[in-house]
Amino acid sequence: MKSLKRGRNLITLMMLIFLVGIVLLVVKIQMEASFYISNSGSRDLGYVYDCNGDILFDDNAQAGDYPDGYFKDVGNLIGDASGQMTNTLVANNLERLSNYSFTKGITRKGGKAAIYTTLNHDANEQVYSAFGDKEGCAIAYNYKTGEILVCVSKPNVDPLKGYEDLPDGSLLCKAFYKTVPGSTQKVSTLISAIETMGIDRLREKSFTCEGSYTNQTGEDINCHNSYGHGTQNIDEAFQNSCNPFFAQLVEDPDWKLSDIEKAYKKLGFSVNGSPAGSVDINGITAQTASTELTDKYEFNTQWSCIGQGMSLVSPCQMIMWQSAIANESGKSTMPYLIDHVTNVNGRIVETAKTSHSDQLFSAKTASEVKSIMLENGNNYSGTIPGYTIGIKSGTAQVKDGTEENSLLTGFVDDDEFPIAFAVLIENRQQYDITTDSIVYTMLSALD
Amino acid sequence: MYKNGLSYGGITLLSLLTHISLLVVVFVKGSYETIMSPIILSAVVIISDLLYFFILHFLKQNTYTLDILLITLLNMSVIFQSCFGGVGFAVKHFIFSVLALACCQAGFKLAENYQFIEKYKYIFYGICGVLIISILLFTGSRGMWIDLGFITIQPSEFLKVFFVLVFATSIAQQQKKKKVLFVKVVYDNMALLALTGVIMLLQWWCRDLGSLPTFAAVAACGFLMRICYPKAKLSKKLIIGLSAAGLVIVIIALKFAPSYVQDRLHVDIWSDPTGNGWQQCQALIAIAEGGWFGKGPGHGVLYKVPAADTDIVFSSICEEWGMLMALLAVFMIILLLVTALINTPRSYFHTTLTVGVCAAFIAQMALNIFGSCNMIPFTGVTIPFISQGGSSMLTCGFMIGFLKAGQARVYPVPVRPAQQNINRRTV
Repeated sequence: MKSLKRGRNLITLMMLIFLVGIVLLVVKIQMEASFYISNSGSRDLGYVYDCNGDILFDDNAQAGDYPDGYFKDVGNLIGDASGQMTNTLVANNLERLSNYSFTKGITRKGGKAAIYTTLNHDANEQVYSAFGDKEGCAIAYNYKTGEILVCVSKPNVDPLKGYEDLPDGSLLCKAFYKTVPGSTQKVSTLISAIETMGIDRLREKSFTCEGSYTNQTGEDINCHNSYGHGTQNIDEAFQNSCNPFFAQLVEDPDWKLSDIEKAYKKLGFSVNGSPAGSVDINGITAQTASTELTDKYEFNTQWSCIGQGMSLVSPCQMIMWQSAIANESGKSTMPYLIDHVTNVNGRIVETAKTSHSDQLFSAKTASEVKSIMLENGNNYSGTIPGYTIGIKSGTAQVKDGTEENSLLTGFVDDDEFPIAFAVLIENRQQYDITTDSIVYTMLSALD
Repeated sequence: MYKNGLSYGGITLLSLLTHISLLVVVFVKGSYETIMSPIILSAVVIISDLLYFFILHFLKQNTYTLDILLITLLNMSVIFQSCFGGVGFAVKHFIFSVLALACCQAGFKLAENYQFIEKYKYIFYGICGVLIISILLFTGSRGMWIDLGFITIQPSEFLKVFFVLVFATSIAQQQKKKKVLFVKVVYDNMALLALTGVIMLLQWWCRDLGSLPTFAAVAACGFLMRICYPKAKLSKKLIIGLSAAGLVIVIIALKFAPSYVQDRLHVDIWSDPTGNGWQQCQALIAIAEGGWFGKGPGHGVLYKVPAADTDIVFSSICEEWGMLMALLAVFMIILLLVTALINTPRSYFHTTLTVGVCAAFIAQMALNIFGSCNMIPFTGVTIPFISQGGSSMLTCGFMIGFLKAGQARVYPVPVRPAQQNINRRTV
């Protein structure tokens, strides 16, 4: 009997292992079937809506079904299922849009699979129009919840009109890609300075700006004010966006480059080639920031801390820092585009949840930076009236100094209207539209 | 006592009703050009069912459950295979189904008397040798089939049958230990070790990665049964040591495996859905499109993909008949094997034979189903009786015959009156 029992046990064991495999297979198929279907030629995709029920994606749309240019403000953000763009909401969420269930199969008519986004299409269109003939991007989100409300990138693409003869950059939403931050970088430098030396010691420091500063290695750091700002403390220098002050701050003995490097990395910077981070926004990959800090007495390091040189930051990362400041928590509110998802039966199967990053800097630092930025925001009461805002502007030289980009990043200090924003206008000329006016258009449209 | 579960009439009626239900689905939901297609299919299935039941009844066996289950499975398979891409009649598959039943009877007769197998085991070793040489000479690294013009034969499939057979052993054989230098060994075990090594190398060389794990499973179970035969001093250390050694060999083999093996191990099918991952991607899409209840017989499109009726047949059934039906077919095979747990083999020889058959069947099903569904590396193996393939059908028929032999009444050897009571207890 012992022999029979051993054989029976071995057979039972083999069968059990196989049956466990079958159970795992069934679970796997159940979980992944929508994904398989989204890769099938016979799929049927649902709609993408904005927060007010406007359609942002319709896989079956033909030219003429929607007003001319209806999708032009969201083309490279929402995308389509053609495979032309990979870093878009639709391209990375085909599975969620699939009008399919394992029980019912593909539902060709009446399927209710849909993605309901947090975007405000009306506000988005207004911001898109506000750019006029200029190119660039604008992004705004609720810094308490993480809902992205506006995300515009120009030039853009209208998927209904095809992909031929598009200008460069049409297929990328620039809000998720790194750009030269200009003086908006001084926000990161200010945070790092407070984190490493403390606000009291930082406030004790004052440096003189005479319009230009020759650093210890003999190179000139010029200020945008050629007459100079005179002797300033950190609050004044931040408001003046004074380059010579920040160059001297970098050279200060209390400015320990290794500590600053750590603070930058905590903020999400890739420093000196360290691994680059990214933020996942419902499948869309958003770049973060990078810079090079090698020798505090050298021009390049100082220039990077001022926002030129090797520094690059994505507008998306800028608003995330703004959220950590505005919330006075030192933690970014993670942005998201999808509010909720319904399946083929119309049942809500996913709902967004607010989440936060790790601690980027201390809550005390956040409060100090917030007050400095709010002080600076008072200077914008004329161009952005009616809002209490913390703000930092920037001008970035690009293409070997032949063009200048204009940037503005900040937040509205209002619990009822908690908006963080970043705007970039590329190759802005003196009499072109300003970043202030785009921010005002954006806030007015969202308010 | 032998347990049949249901009466002969009851079980045949159940089998017939199963096939009729499937045929009704073919008529109602099937895709066919003329009504004659499902009529011909239905006629063949029902008539063959009745014929099988009639013939089986006159064989006067006490072991009919296994046969009826096999007949049910085989004609289910004929219906599935006849519907891929449009209802027709899979003549070749049907012919091999009939031959598989014949092979089942042949296997049963061959393995019924273990004393005969033990006495002439050298002949089966010899057949293994001939098959190995035929693989070396006629297939080799160029492929796995011998093309005879009118038919192609896969010798490694037939090798499985005899490999399972030679691994069966009696307790008496395991006790015949001879001293070689300082160690007492069983010659048969040493011969098997050598045979296993040769077959593994051969499979590796001719890139038959589907058969290799099946042979490995049979060998592992076979050796386990030999190490732990009832009167042996069961050493857990020995088992753990051998298992660890086996694991190390597998890891080393995989680490130094040639590039075509590495590709199979690391391929991300969805990053290459039109290249390396094409078959599996299409198979998974087909399963998803089929859902629980399928698109309907003949409505599938997976038949356009190579090996739709063999290596990815599970997905083809899922697509047209639904996952429930595909799982039912798999459970039918499991049910065949489960009969060995209900009517336990009547000798240690048949126990080892049954374990070998179960190992071969389960390994093949796992490799096919889990491989095509991207849970493990994809290798080209068949699901017993479900996949198209003559060699596979015949050899699986033989092996089910072995299983049946394990459950049959004790072979009538002449016994003295005093011994009759002992033998009765073992029935």
